[in-house]
Amino acid sequence: MTPRETLEAWQRAGRRVVHEADAKALLARIGVPVPERDPAGGRCVAKLCHDGYPHKSDHGLVRLGLTPEEAVAAVAEMAARIPGGTPLIEAMEQGAVAEWIVGCKRDDTFGPIVLAGPGGILVELIDAAEIRLAPVTQEGAAAMLGTGPGARLLEGLRGAPAADRAALARLISRVSVFFAENADLVSEIEINPVMVRADGKGLVAADALIVLAPAVGNKEHDA
Amino acid sequence: MTGNETNQQAGRRPPVAEALDALFDPETIAVVGASRTRGKLGQQVLALLRSNGYAGRIIPVNPSGGEIEGLPAARSLEEIDCPIDVVILATPVNIALDALETCARLDVKAVVGVTSGFSEAGGDGHANEARLRRILRDAPFRLIGPNCEGVVRPAANLQLTFSPMFNGLRPGPVAMISQSGALAGLMALRLGERGVGINAIVSSGNESDLTAADLLEHLGNDPQTAVVLCYVEELRDGRRFAEAARRLVQAGKHVVAVKGGRSRAGSRAVQSHTGAMAGDDRVISAIFRETGVIRAQESVAAVDAVTALAAGRRPAGNRVGIISVTGGLGVEMTDLAESAGFEVPVLAETTQQALSQYVPFYGSVTNPVDLTGVVLANPTYVGRCLAAVAADPGVDIAIAIITFVPDQQFIEALAEAYEGTDKPVLIVWTGAARSSASGDSLRDRAVPVYDSPARAASGLTALLPMKGEVR
Repeated sequence: MTPRETLEAWQRAGRRVVHEADAKALLARIGVPVPERDPAGGRCVAKLCHDGYPHKSDHGLVRLGLTPEEAVAAVAEMAARIPGGTPLIEAMEQGAVAEWIVGCKRDDTFGPIVLAGPGGILVELIDAAEIRLAPVTQEGAAAMLGTGPGARLLEGLRGAPAADRAALARLISRVSVFFAENADLVSEIEINPVMVRADGKGLVAADALIVLAPAVGNKEHDA
Repeated sequence: MTGNETNQQAGRRPPVAEALDALFDPETIAVVGASRTRGKLGQQVLALLRSNGYAGRIIPVNPSGGEIEGLPAARSLEEIDCPIDVVILATPVNIALDALETCARLDVKAVVGVTSGFSEAGGDGHANEARLRRILRDAPFRLIGPNCEGVVRPAANLQLTFSPMFNGLRPGPVAMISQSGALAGLMALRLGERGVGINAIVSSGNESDLTAADLLEHLGNDPQTAVVLCYVEELRDGRRFAEAARRLVQAGKHVVAVKGGRSRAGSRAVQSHTGAMAGDDRVISAIFRETGVIRAQESVAAVDAVTALAAGRRPAGNRVGIISVTGGLGVEMTDLAESAGFEVPVLAETTQQALSQYVPFYGSVTNPVDLTGVVLANPTYVGRCLAAVAADPGVDIAIAIITFVPDQQFIEALAEAYEGTDKPVLIVWTGAARSSASGDSLRDRAVPVYDSPARAASGLTALLPMKGEVR
């Protein structure tokens, strides 16, 4: 099944908000780096993913800094509370120097657009995202990262190491191309945060969400 | 359904360029609703078309026939025995819809609908709109409007409008596309007062057929157009508008846009941060910036921007040299320029020496240059000082600030200094209305003249947009 066929199958199944585990599995197939799953050691993140609960932490469905054994116990506890979810245990990213949001959506006026800016908790604090028509090339994405207040964060403030801007630009371009090619099926893709490591060390998508467009003939439910 | 979808469904519609070429340079115009009764739309349209010297054939259409405004009238469109380039509809909505159905059977290139009573009216308007869309589905003509104020093209003496706001415009580099007819009138009048020439004005109204994007593409590609000024409330075809604007900017032209209705709240439920962060107005600002569209906060700021751009001079950088007959206005201009991201650097030694010949010891020759009242007694001094500042290799843009003007020679000297440089020059003339001297020599050259430092700052910002929109 191609990624597009997967989207079509989800849409046929009536899904609207696709949970993190499935969203990440799809994004991994288009080249988005995701954390190692079910690691044998080290610190882990335990989550229970469910289309009906996109805001997981509000429902106690995210736990950080666990051992692998603790993580298995944690997802079992979550699954007992919320039936029908998909457990997700991943290696916890600890080398990031910046957290970024990368999002795509269909704008009513301009069609597919892509947004990138300071992510994680900074989204709540400062609204410094750059917005462009999607798709953007890698060069276009690099220009986005060099513009606005976020640029200084990626350069490394006050002696902090610079973030891997090339890897982030590749990711922005790749996601925007995939979104624009499938904008008839997808309303939004959001990766937040992208954990960006120091220059040359890459990045991983720590959380992701895909919102599907309603199936054709079902448009009135979109309004 | 949007206008765009309608267009896509219709395979048989004629090309936009063919219709608009005929519209902007018509040989034959039929005025449906032409009337002898003063105050009626059709009477006003016919009178304006006549009084502005349109040289082609005008055919009034009125069921009673006879003569209207000295022209033989046809009783119906069918009676007209030749191809018709443009039909203008200035009748009540039901008659206009009947006429559109007739146009679909005749050889008509373009229709301009100043008639109202469609989707904008609610109630019966929706039924009228539905009928309009059925006619447009495979109509062999293209429609401007309906619910618009019409089309103006000074070079063809063409005034297809009921509004007298567009009288006396001269041909020139500015094309205007406005979804509001009243704002088109306001902007045209102000540009005309400054001597800025107009290539074409289209009030696009409801855009049931031709959209702002169609008009931007066509008028923008016209070699006569250097600057396109747009007032839009709803971009029906935003993607194509943005792509067209990007191509024009890459070709060295300018697009200035005012987006009205910016406070409209999004009604869709927000699922993500992306949805919340990419609100309608944020996206418009971002995409305008990306594609090189200069966004103006409102219509007068847009006129100020266009006034500066229409002069056709591009600055090499952001360094501004300011001369003023008074210290206070020079300081205010400096503050505004700096907060817009421009520099007001100290002038070169040689420039300062040149200025010292004219400026007394209690003035200032650094930057801003305070000429003091002495220049009022020596009318040519102001022109020589402007020339000296514009010649400074460290200055990219020159601004001259004057208050009241002692005599005509003073203005002629400024106009001469403007001609003597290739750099952009802006003039702030605060006392225009009270001065005895005429500004014609500035207007004839379309020199950008503003009545306050703040308005000049809007023009300055447009020459080199660095920080957001033009205010």
